[in-house]
Amino acid sequence: MAKHYDESLLSDMLPIYYSRLFPQSLFCRWLTCGNYPQPLGNRELSFTLADDVYLRYLSINNQKELHTLFQKKCPYKLDIGPVYNTKPSIGRHDAVVLARELVFDIDLTDYDEIRTCCQEAKVCDKCWKFMVLACEVINTALKEDFGFQNILWVFSGRRGIHCWVSDHEARVLDSPGRTALADYMCLISGGENQYRKVHLGNDNLHSSIRRAIGIIEKYFTTILEEQEFLSTTDRLNSFLKIIPDEALRKQTHETLEKMPSSSLERWEMFVTIYNQYCKQNANAMRKMKYLVEELKIQYCYPRLDAHVTKGFNHLLKSPFSIHPKTGKVSIVFKPENAKNMKLNDIPTIHTLLDDSSKENAQHQANMRTAVKNFQEVVFMLEKTEAMRRKTEASVSIDF
Amino acid sequence: MDFKIKRKSTKSVIAGGLLETYPHDLQMYKLPPVGDISLQEFETLALERLTLLRCLATATTLKGLRLYSEEWCDFILGDLRSQGLKYYVKLCEKSGCSTQDVDLQARRKDHIAHFILRLAYCRTEELRRWFISREIELFRMRFMTMKGDSVDNFFTINNLCYTNISEEEKDELIINLRESTHHPNIDKMKFYKVKFFEVLDLVKTRKVYLKDGYAYIPHKDFISVLSAQYRVHLRQSLAIACHHLGEVEQDERLVSLLKGLHQSYTGNDYSDSKSVIPIESLDTLSIKSFPLCMRQLHEFLRSTHHLKHGGRLQYGLFLKGIGVTLEDSLKFWRQEFTKVMDLDKFEKQYSYNVRYNYGKEGSKKNYSPFNCLKIINNNVGPGECHGCPFKHSDANVLKNKLKGYGFEQQALHDVVDLAKRGHYQIACSKYFDVVQSCNIGLGINHPNQYFEESQKLLKGDIKSEPKKDIKPIIKDEINDIEEMDFDENFK
Repeated sequence: MAKHYDESLLSDMLPIYYSRLFPQSLFCRWLTCGNYPQPLGNRELSFTLADDVYLRYLSINNQKELHTLFQKKCPYKLDIGPVYNTKPSIGRHDAVVLARELVFDIDLTDYDEIRTCCQEAKVCDKCWKFMVLACEVINTALKEDFGFQNILWVFSGRRGIHCWVSDHEARVLDSPGRTALADYMCLISGGENQYRKVHLGNDNLHSSIRRAIGIIEKYFTTILEEQEFLSTTDRLNSFLKIIPDEALRKQTHETLEKMPSSSLERWEMFVTIYNQYCKQNANAMRKMKYLVEELKIQYCYPRLDAHVTKGFNHLLKSPFSIHPKTGKVSIVFKPENAKNMKLNDIPTIHTLLDDSSKENAQHQANMRTAVKNFQEVVFMLEKTEAMRRKTEASVSIDF
Repeated sequence: MDFKIKRKSTKSVIAGGLLETYPHDLQMYKLPPVGDISLQEFETLALERLTLLRCLATATTLKGLRLYSEEWCDFILGDLRSQGLKYYVKLCEKSGCSTQDVDLQARRKDHIAHFILRLAYCRTEELRRWFISREIELFRMRFMTMKGDSVDNFFTINNLCYTNISEEEKDELIINLRESTHHPNIDKMKFYKVKFFEVLDLVKTRKVYLKDGYAYIPHKDFISVLSAQYRVHLRQSLAIACHHLGEVEQDERLVSLLKGLHQSYTGNDYSDSKSVIPIESLDTLSIKSFPLCMRQLHEFLRSTHHLKHGGRLQYGLFLKGIGVTLEDSLKFWRQEFTKVMDLDKFEKQYSYNVRYNYGKEGSKKNYSPFNCLKIINNNVGPGECHGCPFKHSDANVLKNKLKGYGFEQQALHDVVDLAKRGHYQIACSKYFDVVQSCNIGLGINHPNQYFEESQKLLKGDIKSEPKKDIKPIIKDEINDIEEMDFDENFK
């Protein structure tokens, strides 16, 4: 992160960013496509200005109006809402929500109980791996299970990622539908009073869960070692609290605490103990047939903010907005490229506009790539939408 | 709707006609009834079906029985019998397609009554939701009790057909089908594929194999598809009924009947508290009169000076219900939150929510405090401590907590044991008895009820609150959390 980033310069830099770098035309095309058959003007946008002044129920009819609005208001934050049956400024509370992209929000603060390298607002390339893993699990599920094709992945600006699904079926999904999807994706549940947060039962594992575990296993050893999940007394205790069987817990505790602090060695020893224990105790198998998988899931599986997915009219940060605290651009990235992303490579408003900054060339290139990624998604969306509308039109209407 | 309502009773359609119109016990009410009917019968049919629907509601909200379980079925059938509603017992106990006259008559009454209640329940969104929930529960119950042949008949009569999948496709996917479908021995079952949004309840609980947007369901799981379709159909029908309400209400004889039908159903929803509770007494009250769910939230707030959204909502509405005013509420949350953040941040990000709960912002709905069912069914995530502690705590955690409160061995064991066996509200009732040092065994179904009962005891049985007026606006007992929607942006 650029050390000389100064929030007070935002009001000078943002107008330039919005007119020169923000991909206004693509933005309008993306939303227009997602609005169909409603006009672009029925989509709600919200701005947060300097001093936290919050403007809701904004909308634009075309790119020119977007540009004007940007120059006039210079928003520090830009959020996108749903499509209404009327212009949002007219309908307000009484307007009916007709459609909205299916969205997912994954934030590293929800991993605070698990990640050891950082907490709260801090983020580093080590814990970023959780996001890479989350992206792969969710992207795969959306494509393979639900058949979605128009998926946009965006860096959230500080320590998370957002996903926008623009397929028609996703856009018109109502609240119960979004809830069903969110619940399908969520495997970790339980509050402060529940240490064991994953319960896979003892029947067969659902295909999607098996697949997710396969993905987790690609990253598990690395994350385990970097995060050192089992290396300290505290962390070992947290781990032990998840084990539901007293005897197994005791045995694990006694063996592991005597071992050197390598988390990988301790983990492998635990798996050995567990397997032996289960061979000798048929009962145990019934209670915790998938304990190893449950642990992997509890430590690594995506932690979604389900509220965001379930809400039909939740306002979510726009791609390519600037995060006021970090100056970073919410860039669009390709899921297969997430693992190559380094946090310091993410362009910031400062490095983009300051020729003298040493990251300037690299960040400008990365910005261009991000815009290109966006363009590909928008183009694909326009194509699939065009095909879908043609098919619908040719279906005869019979009463 | 083609209703001609006369004062005199008129002979109904001949039996032959009945068989044609009603070939099966179970129907989806696609066509409205045609004919003449006496005002007397109109009213009787409406009231009888209302009794049936209320019985369904009681089974879940008051008795806490699990939907579609054996106990649930038994309770409903038993209640219907004791109310003398023989024809509904027949229709619910074993849906079939016999041609006996007694069955035909039952189907006719069922048909007409459903349409009458549509008129009574289309008026507001809350009434609609209540009606739809009950009718779906009824539909599923009757579908469940259908015997083999009747199911096939039902499908044929209703022109229901889905894409079969070929044997080859099934073989390719057999491993996935085996592991993802929640029935054992699926190898012999016939499979169909439907779009995922037709079977949302199976998707939600991960009980079906999904591929490319399609769900692969065995014949047995059709009920989910049908329920979803039925729900859509009902919603649309009620919207249409609402349009025509004006015409129907031209007939004065019907107006008062329809409007009065759902009256007196309201249970207490605690959305208007008449007493006032000062925030200085909250600490003591949390120990003496709060149910464990709220005590836990209060303690967590006091020690960490923050609650996440779910906790703020659950606890905030509870406080409103016991009588904390808006000004006091703001003061209370502000006092705590500003221990870990700027006053500025609190005012901008959190005070709006507090005012929102009191109906002072946004759509200005006066949200009611949650009842136990809602709280128990709530999702609780990492870092959160709302929900029902008897459900959302590991047994050890609960045990240690109660030990810390000074519970004795036996009492502790009883409560924890009840919680382990899934009897959350009875565990709460036991908790009440231990804390209040009594042995009443209350049926707890609302945290504010717990508070009131506790206060009554402490004040020596003097009522702390005057009796409420019964309002015609219904607080629907929302069984699934998915039906709760917020039209504002909670951050």
